[in-house]
Amino acid sequence: MPGTPAQAQLLPGTLDLLILKTVSLSPLHGYGILLRIQQISGGALLVEQGALYPALFRLVRQGLLKASWGTSENNRRAKFYELTAAGRKRLREEADGWNRLATAIASALRTQPEEI
Amino acid sequence: MKLLASLRTFLSSLFRRLRVEDEMEAELRVHIENRAEDLERSGVSRAEAERRARLEFGGYQKFKEECREAVGVHFFETLIQDLRYALRMLRKSPAFTTVAVLTLALGIGANTAIFSMVDGLVLRPLPVNQPDRIVFLMSTWKGGHVRTPFSYPDFMEIQRQTADVFADSSAFQSFQMAGLSVDGKSQPIWTSYVSGDFFEMLGLRPALGRLILPSEGKVAGADPVLVLSYSCWQSHFNRDPDIIGKKASVNGHPVTIVGVAPEGFHGLASLLDFQGYLPLSMAAVLKDAPDDFLSSRENPSFGLIARLKQNVSLNQAQTALQVVAQRLSQQYPKTDNWMSLRAMNLGPSSLAIDPGNPGILTVVSTLFLALAAAVLVLACLNIANLCLLRAAARQPELAMRATLGATRGRLLRQLLSESALLAALGCGAGIILGLAASTMFGYLPMHTALPIVLDFHFDWRVFAYALAAAVLTSLLVGIAPAFRVARSDLNELLREGGRSLAGGRQRLRRALVMAQVAGSLTLLIVAGLFVRSLEKVQHADLGFDPNHVFNLSMDPHEAGYDEAQARGFFKSLVVKARALPGVESASLAASVPMGYNDFGSTLKIDGYLPSPNEGSPRANYNVVSANYFQTMHIPLLRGRDIRDSDDPNSSFVAVINQGMADRYWHGLDPIGRRFFSNDLNHSLEIVGVVKNSLAGEIFFPPNDPFFYASLTQTYETIETLQVRAPAPPEATARELTGLVHSLEPAMPVFDVQTMAAALDTVNGFLLFWFAAALAGSLGLLGLLLAVVGVYGVISYSAAQRTHEIGIRLALGAQPSHVLKMILSQGLGIVGIGVIAGVLAAAAMARLVENLLMGVPPLDPLTYVTASVVLVLVSLLACYLPARRAMRVDPMVALRYE
Repeated sequence: MPGTPAQAQLLPGTLDLLILKTVSLSPLHGYGILLRIQQISGGALLVEQGALYPALFRLVRQGLLKASWGTSENNRRAKFYELTAAGRKRLREEADGWNRLATAIASALRTQPEEI
Repeated sequence: MKLLASLRTFLSSLFRRLRVEDEMEAELRVHIENRAEDLERSGVSRAEAERRARLEFGGYQKFKEECREAVGVHFFETLIQDLRYALRMLRKSPAFTTVAVLTLALGIGANTAIFSMVDGLVLRPLPVNQPDRIVFLMSTWKGGHVRTPFSYPDFMEIQRQTADVFADSSAFQSFQMAGLSVDGKSQPIWTSYVSGDFFEMLGLRPALGRLILPSEGKVAGADPVLVLSYSCWQSHFNRDPDIIGKKASVNGHPVTIVGVAPEGFHGLASLLDFQGYLPLSMAAVLKDAPDDFLSSRENPSFGLIARLKQNVSLNQAQTALQVVAQRLSQQYPKTDNWMSLRAMNLGPSSLAIDPGNPGILTVVSTLFLALAAAVLVLACLNIANLCLLRAAARQPELAMRATLGATRGRLLRQLLSESALLAALGCGAGIILGLAASTMFGYLPMHTALPIVLDFHFDWRVFAYALAAAVLTSLLVGIAPAFRVARSDLNELLREGGRSLAGGRQRLRRALVMAQVAGSLTLLIVAGLFVRSLEKVQHADLGFDPNHVFNLSMDPHEAGYDEAQARGFFKSLVVKARALPGVESASLAASVPMGYNDFGSTLKIDGYLPSPNEGSPRANYNVVSANYFQTMHIPLLRGRDIRDSDDPNSSFVAVINQGMADRYWHGLDPIGRRFFSNDLNHSLEIVGVVKNSLAGEIFFPPNDPFFYASLTQTYETIETLQVRAPAPPEATARELTGLVHSLEPAMPVFDVQTMAAALDTVNGFLLFWFAAALAGSLGLLGLLLAVVGVYGVISYSAAQRTHEIGIRLALGAQPSHVLKMILSQGLGIVGIGVIAGVLAAAAMARLVENLLMGVPPLDPLTYVTASVVLVLVSLLACYLPARRAMRVDPMVALRYE
């Protein structure tokens, strides 16, 4: 597709984090989550469709997401996912951890030879 | 309760699975539809959009699987899948499956058969109300003897004085043969005389009519009623509902049949089937008993049973009984010379309520259960080995499945479900086999008129046992290959293909076969010991010669004769029998060796003082006519035989055996001396001494004191005509029965058999036959299993070494060298197994020493023979694969990869 930025492979484990973040913005069904992740990452992150639903089911089983049936915007019956309290807490923790990691790595990468 | 909860979870997961499946389908469908819509919006056709959407979604099934795993409802589905796959795999290798299932079936079948016998003999409780609260009473006399019979007045006293510990008590007398005559047809039946409260105490309800009432049986001669057993009603009267109220006659006396006992109730002994019950009062009339039968204390002839009160323990009852014992022995020191009274639980194996040998059945049962379990373990070892071999051959397949995504746990579950399926099939076949075998044992010829009933039907206990055996088996069998899968590196498996042969795995297989050989040898040796025991016992010096002797028993009372008529009958019978052509000698006897009629008496001997803990002198005895010793070929050592002329008017005579002479007269000449028999209630003069011989049970030593009284002087109603004649038994049987019926057409005869056959009865050799047969079959089974095991391992090992063998042959080795190589490998395994087996057998034989007669537990002949047989057969099993290896074409072998 023309004009799309370079797409990065999704690191394992980060999918859960992205799902949690996406759902925290608003309750969504599976396909919606897929699109939303694409959207908020600026098209840089493409979720493999086969990995999405197992991850969703896993998160539901771990008690971080809650699922309920509802009607989608095009009048179809779909399963909507939303965050639980535990999910919100986990999102906060993971996000903090990720940010710390990113800052550390970025700082390491900025090092100039003279600073050693 | 836990069972219910897990059942509920299982069911709910089942339903939840269906619902979740639907939900997942719906959700994924919506996803694809949304994607298709988006694609459509960007200009693709509807059909193309849907197709692409589905393609993008990718591996539908795989993550449906993962989803299911994530949700956690897939247990049931994978179980079904595993089983279906297992069934397919088993079908693909029919040889393995057949061998495995057959082996298991034999092992489990042997176990269930033996367990059902043990169940019927030892474990199953009596079919009465609360059987664990029923006890029987025994008295210990000063002098140490333990007796079970009591007199009727004692019964009444005990009943009165134990009213606070026993809810109810009853007196009974078993083992009476009587002639029942209904509608003109007569047959002998086994009766039990019971006091009125017998049936009520046991809590039984009649199948038809009524049972004996508590008010009946108290007055001698009153209440002529008869209750039939269910089996008797079924077999002799065809379940005729009109039997109630019918007039019949027992031993010539009129009785009325008033009811039928409930089905399954055979009386108090588990092995015997009592066919009729009469009130105690009738015993006085029908047995020709003395007038004071019910009122004299001197006549202990009734067994006593009682039911413990609800909250009373056995110990409390013992204490109460002790008090009663002391009171009664003080009141009646002459007749109730007791030290104590005891109560014992009425176990199901109360064959004769014999306090002397209560445990023998338990010991024998445990022994055979252990042997059968050993066979099962051998079978398991065999199958475990086979499974190992199969797992080794399936390495590539397992590795493939691993790379396709199967977890180790999944593979393990797969293997275990295969072995579980095998075990289930084997268990099913085994139960059928076991049922057949135990039914067959129920039809064993008992060589006796005793109504022995071997009710070996399968009840819940037997099925539970079979199930437990199957579960254990599947665990044992599945564990070995499962272990290998769990510990192996799947990559390595895939790389090596099917040829991997690390030393560790071979070692396990070899160890298993060694264990098999050892176990099988142990079984063989034990079987050999039992067989030799039987042989020894049969050829032991019986003291008499049973060959060419024919027996015929009868009881004239069953034909309605009184004493005078019976005496006359027997007199003419024996005279006519002696006159028959071809008859060497004929005589009458009240009991025959190994028979069930036992006479014993305490004695009073002048000049003999028993040592302090010996108790009063006693001897068993028989009552015989003249020529008895001649017929039985028992040598007369001194003095003279009983004579026909010894009649009631002359003084009572007796012939004693050497053992009695040695014990009580210490080598002095006993001829002319006298002794007093309490049982016969008169003194006897010794007129002769005979050689010791086997009399009562096989376990009674022949040199126990024994004497013979004269039939013409002491009347016994049941007498056995014994005839020594060289003619074949069938001819003799016909002649003698004809003779009896020419004298009295209505005389029922029983126990019509040769003396040799009569020795095979319950008191005699039957146990040995049984043990030898059972042990022998188990031993053969074990041998078969060991041979199959050895064959399997050597065959596989040889096949694995084909490559190596090919190289050797190509380099110039002789084929015979290859043969020797394989054979020596097999011999090594078998050799170690044999040594282990001999040691194990020696240990086991120590345990069963008591059951072997005349054979030492370390009998060298048995051990050597069994070992040689096993080694030879195993060598044969090695020879076949070795020969195959020898014939390998080197070119083929070298190319074999």
